[in-house]
Amino acid sequence: MKIDDVVCPFCGCLCDDLVVEVEGTRVVSVENGCTLANEKFMGDHRLKTPIHREGKGWKETTYDEAIRETAEILCDADRPLLYGWSGTHGEAQSIGIHLAEILGALVDNTSTVCHGPSILAIQEVGHPGCTLGQVKNRADVVIYWGTNPIDAHPRHMSRYTTFADGFFLKEAFRDRKLIVVDVRKSESANIADEFVRIQPGGDYAVLSALRAIVQGKRGIIPPSVAGVSREQLFRVADLLLSAKFGAIFFGLGLTMSRGKSKNIRNAIELTEELNRHTKFIISPMRGHWNVYGSNEVFTWITGYPYAVDFARGIAFYNPGETTSVDVLSRKECDACLVVASDPGAHFPKACAEHLARIPTVQIDPHVNATTHLSRIQIPVAVTGIDAEGTAYRMDGVPIRTRMLFRGTYPSDTAVLEQLYAIVKEIKGP
Amino acid sequence: MKFLLNTGRTIRQGSYVERKNSVAYQEEATSLCMNPVDMMNLELEEGSQVRVESDQESVIMKVHPALWITQGEVFVCLGPYANHLVKPETHGSGMPDFKGTMVTITPTSEPLVTVADLMERCGGVRYED
Repeated sequence: MKIDDVVCPFCGCLCDDLVVEVEGTRVVSVENGCTLANEKFMGDHRLKTPIHREGKGWKETTYDEAIRETAEILCDADRPLLYGWSGTHGEAQSIGIHLAEILGALVDNTSTVCHGPSILAIQEVGHPGCTLGQVKNRADVVIYWGTNPIDAHPRHMSRYTTFADGFFLKEAFRDRKLIVVDVRKSESANIADEFVRIQPGGDYAVLSALRAIVQGKRGIIPPSVAGVSREQLFRVADLLLSAKFGAIFFGLGLTMSRGKSKNIRNAIELTEELNRHTKFIISPMRGHWNVYGSNEVFTWITGYPYAVDFARGIAFYNPGETTSVDVLSRKECDACLVVASDPGAHFPKACAEHLARIPTVQIDPHVNATTHLSRIQIPVAVTGIDAEGTAYRMDGVPIRTRMLFRGTYPSDTAVLEQLYAIVKEIKGP
Repeated sequence: MKFLLNTGRTIRQGSYVERKNSVAYQEEATSLCMNPVDMMNLELEEGSQVRVESDQESVIMKVHPALWITQGEVFVCLGPYANHLVKPETHGSGMPDFKGTMVTITPTSEPLVTVADLMERCGGVRYED
């Protein structure tokens, strides 16, 4: 059976034009997808049953036992951490936050190690953004700053920018100017009209120089700023100022480099400066397919987008203190529930060591690095393949992912609902 | 020789992200891209093994020439091998310095380790799927 308009649950692009052929409980072909989508839909490497550790080995267990054991671990803990959430649907994220509230737990999502600094900057100076549809139809100058969409968001350029013809851009490839700013000449830089190579850690200085030029202060620019020549800075500024509609997309090259949230603040303020001359927007290139959704769901329920601590009985938010990497490296939490992410692979070693030290439980369809650090793993259905739910695209547009077939795995929502019910029963009214 | 370690997404890393115990993932996550001039200075050939050491961890990787990276910098895709080299210090931001870790690189003949080996070093217990 061929299913049209399938939503891809891999990256923040949430492409919704895939055609997927299904036979029984197996995906047999994918059309329109990128390499990442093909691997996601065609991959068949799931953990078969729940597992738990016994001594120095692993044993299979049942869902009921694994969920009951998880509930007891979380209820016994003084400072549990509930981490992940960006690889599951909004309905499951919502249960996770309610679970954190009754446990008095700390709940954090993967923004903490991706666009957390962008959120901090947006909280300071706002977010002049728009939907990707507006970019596709209108943007005649596009900047990718500290991001390499060809590898990380392979269809971003073909659906929304360089290769996507729009209402006002009939021949996008020729009509849109593409600027790539990076410390390395990435695949995306190879096709740029202008590639700006910055010295590592020099983004803040280059953004400041561009702001000065846009303000008309060309005379104060030194011959070179963080490895970028004055001539190139003038050329780039002229390109920006010539835009009818400009779009800046930024990635972890800004959020993880020296300056972090202040880099983003500076980029937003450059956007604001450009809006005095023409129309410009700025948007983060979100990684996980529903990381934006985790920020949305966290914010609806707690008022804060990530790193929310319920230890005081109310929601408390202080990134740098209540963020997962800090909490784990301080050896503060005494149990951890990981849902739909892999901190074992993506956190520093000291954090992985602490995850191994404390009882860690993982809810995830696949065996990953965190599996080896855990005491229990509960496999679940993959949202967008054998489970459905709401996700948010990187521009904040909610899109309902679809269930392509009914498999044998329970969804994240089903497992978390059962876990929540047991915890509530243990905690009492 | 000292280098600045940069990390980031690659399409191969993304392709194998749900198979972290596989040889393909291990190969990609241990591929260290280095400017050919630096490789010449260290007397390294394509595929040579190197020890990459920070003040947090030491891992073995395989070096690959990359003209797109400047001398003095190396690039490894995000994953346990690169990320375990990074300090957990976040400077009050919540975000470690994933794109700014100094590492020392020396040629070695020691073998690569698997993701499960790496997690066992952290105190975990390997699960073979």
